[in-house]
Amino acid sequence: MFEVLLGGVLLGGMYGLVALGLNLQYGVSRILNLSYGEFLIGGAFIAFFTVMGRWQLNPLLSLFLSVPIAFAMNWLIYRWLMLPLVRRAPDQDALDADVVLVTFGLFFVIQGLALVNWSGELRGYSFLAQGVDVLGARIALNRLVAFLGACVLALALFLILRHTRLGSALRAMTIDPVAAELMGVDVRKFSAMAFAAGGALAAVAGMLVSTFISFSATSGGDYTLKALLVAIMAGVGRVTGTLAAGLLLGVVEQLGGHLIDPGLTLAINFGLFTLILLLRPTGLFTRA
Amino acid sequence: MDRRTFVKGSVAAAGAATLTGRVFAQAAAPDKLRFGYAITQSGPLGPGAESTTISQYKLWQKLVNDAGGILLKKFNRKVPIDFVSYDDQGKPDELLKLTERLIQQDRVDMMLAPYASHMNLAAAPVINRYEYPVIMTTATTSKTYDLALKWPYAFWNISQPNESAHPLSNAIAELKKEGKVSGKVAVVHVATEFGVEMHAAFIDQAKKDGLDVALSKSYPLGVADLQPLIREAMATQADAFVCMSYPPDTFMLVEQAKIVGFNPKFMYVAIGGVFPGLKDKFGSNVNGILVYGGVNPGEPGMADYNKAHQAMFNRPSEAGAINVYGALQVTQQAIEKVGEIDRKKIRDVIATDAFPTLWGELKYVSQRNANPWAVGQWQGGEVVGVYPANKAGAKPLLFPKPAWS
Repeated sequence: MFEVLLGGVLLGGMYGLVALGLNLQYGVSRILNLSYGEFLIGGAFIAFFTVMGRWQLNPLLSLFLSVPIAFAMNWLIYRWLMLPLVRRAPDQDALDADVVLVTFGLFFVIQGLALVNWSGELRGYSFLAQGVDVLGARIALNRLVAFLGACVLALALFLILRHTRLGSALRAMTIDPVAAELMGVDVRKFSAMAFAAGGALAAVAGMLVSTFISFSATSGGDYTLKALLVAIMAGVGRVTGTLAAGLLLGVVEQLGGHLIDPGLTLAINFGLFTLILLLRPTGLFTRA
Repeated sequence: MDRRTFVKGSVAAAGAATLTGRVFAQAAAPDKLRFGYAITQSGPLGPGAESTTISQYKLWQKLVNDAGGILLKKFNRKVPIDFVSYDDQGKPDELLKLTERLIQQDRVDMMLAPYASHMNLAAAPVINRYEYPVIMTTATTSKTYDLALKWPYAFWNISQPNESAHPLSNAIAELKKEGKVSGKVAVVHVATEFGVEMHAAFIDQAKKDGLDVALSKSYPLGVADLQPLIREAMATQADAFVCMSYPPDTFMLVEQAKIVGFNPKFMYVAIGGVFPGLKDKFGSNVNGILVYGGVNPGEPGMADYNKAHQAMFNRPSEAGAINVYGALQVTQQAIEKVGEIDRKKIRDVIATDAFPTLWGELKYVSQRNANPWAVGQWQGGEVVGVYPANKAGAKPLLFPKPAWS
């Protein structure tokens, strides 16, 4: 039982990790990025080639390459594709509609390029694929590392948002972009940065997840969906909430699978999601 | 001229043009043979389709065209192969539209199979209606036992659930008789049609063979963690573990079984078990794992094929793809025997003759492969055919599965 709970926590950490970047992008930059998962898979691919390529390096080293690339690409996407939409949109609803269409298109473009370059094969590599005993329960070391990575990232993000000037500005933008701008926050600049940082987080998540789940050029969409699920459950722009919502999802999924039937895990996932939407439509961790 | 007459006139003219074109074409050899296929390139089944099927289509096209093409006796000319292909995104309704489109709009000469059981099954009535002979290479479903008779143009190449699952149960029963296993078996399956049918076929036979099914559960496609399920299997003390799995979960099962130290003496995974990626990831730990489908690595022509595959894709072929290549060889041989694109005659040749291929000799009885490879096993870093044991090139079972290292 304890092992099941622990497994749920680890799984939930992964869900939270996957959703962190998306929630940053949506919460601060107000861009619902449907091509988010593609950057996650991009990070996974770079990790894969780092490990399986000529030099057979540690996948963690791939971050030195994938993080700057993802950051730069997302920054460019914001500046060149999103900003024109932001400028012309009369309100947030109109912006959402435009952004969803554009990022959905972007999803196909990136996936197509990935398919051409890397083909649709399933990829996976072994990294820390060994068990460790934690209080009598045996868990996979690579999943534990991913979980710790999720905690570190969420904590760092939380501290930045809470205790720095930049963080105050970003939080102000989450609450009310217009008021923030009137207070002298450079909304355009910070939006671009938050969007780029979200993309970089996706690359980190992709690297961590790829250590224990096989992936292919077309797996990105699944992660976008998972990330959306968790981000909406948590509430837009809630960083620690994202991790908490991920944990809740993971634990409920594992417990349900254990107590009822493992065949129901997906149903349990979406059941919980629906329940939360019904009870707290703005998300679990949003203040009313 | 009013608009209506104009439209009528144009339609008639266009019709006449097409007609003359056709009459003319009958006299001369076509400059290419157009093969059409709609297949899954995106979505969860995309990787499998690429690795098993699409890669083989491309390789076959290249090798045949390098040799000049397919020989059409009637024109005494070799004609190269041309492809028209679409992505069905893993959606059956999309596949049906695209199949109709390939036949009616693109007017391809021949059709090739899509990927995955349900997709093959969805395409079969359509190609049958238009009388396009197609060898379905990735369909394992109990439905073929009845439907094969209804659809004379659809051929079924690979091992069906009974033929795939029964030898596993038989083998465990045999080992039990020899006192090598307890006869306690844990069975799990991915909740897809393939998983459900394989599972049912296995459980059925296991009861007849007197095995003790200690665990029988399913998990959804796209599952993120299989450790709890593996733990349950472990807790039953079963020394035989049978997983009717699909590619992503096949990888996860092997990794997590290794991590928790679950080391059954008899371990089977289904689809994806033959992927070279499995060996890339787990190295010599794959040895002893039983998998869906098999192949005889010593088949004549295999060495050349492997070399060409490596050169084209920069990776080794997977054993599960050999059946697809074999089906393409059958198609080519049948067309060459007929000597022209007469789909009725081609169908009849496929239905009656026997064809030497990389996947052994292929012969169809009631449109179903008479004796396909059913179970393979990783031995010495490659997949070999183990069951049916009476097939040419079958290797003896490696037992017990070596412990994880």
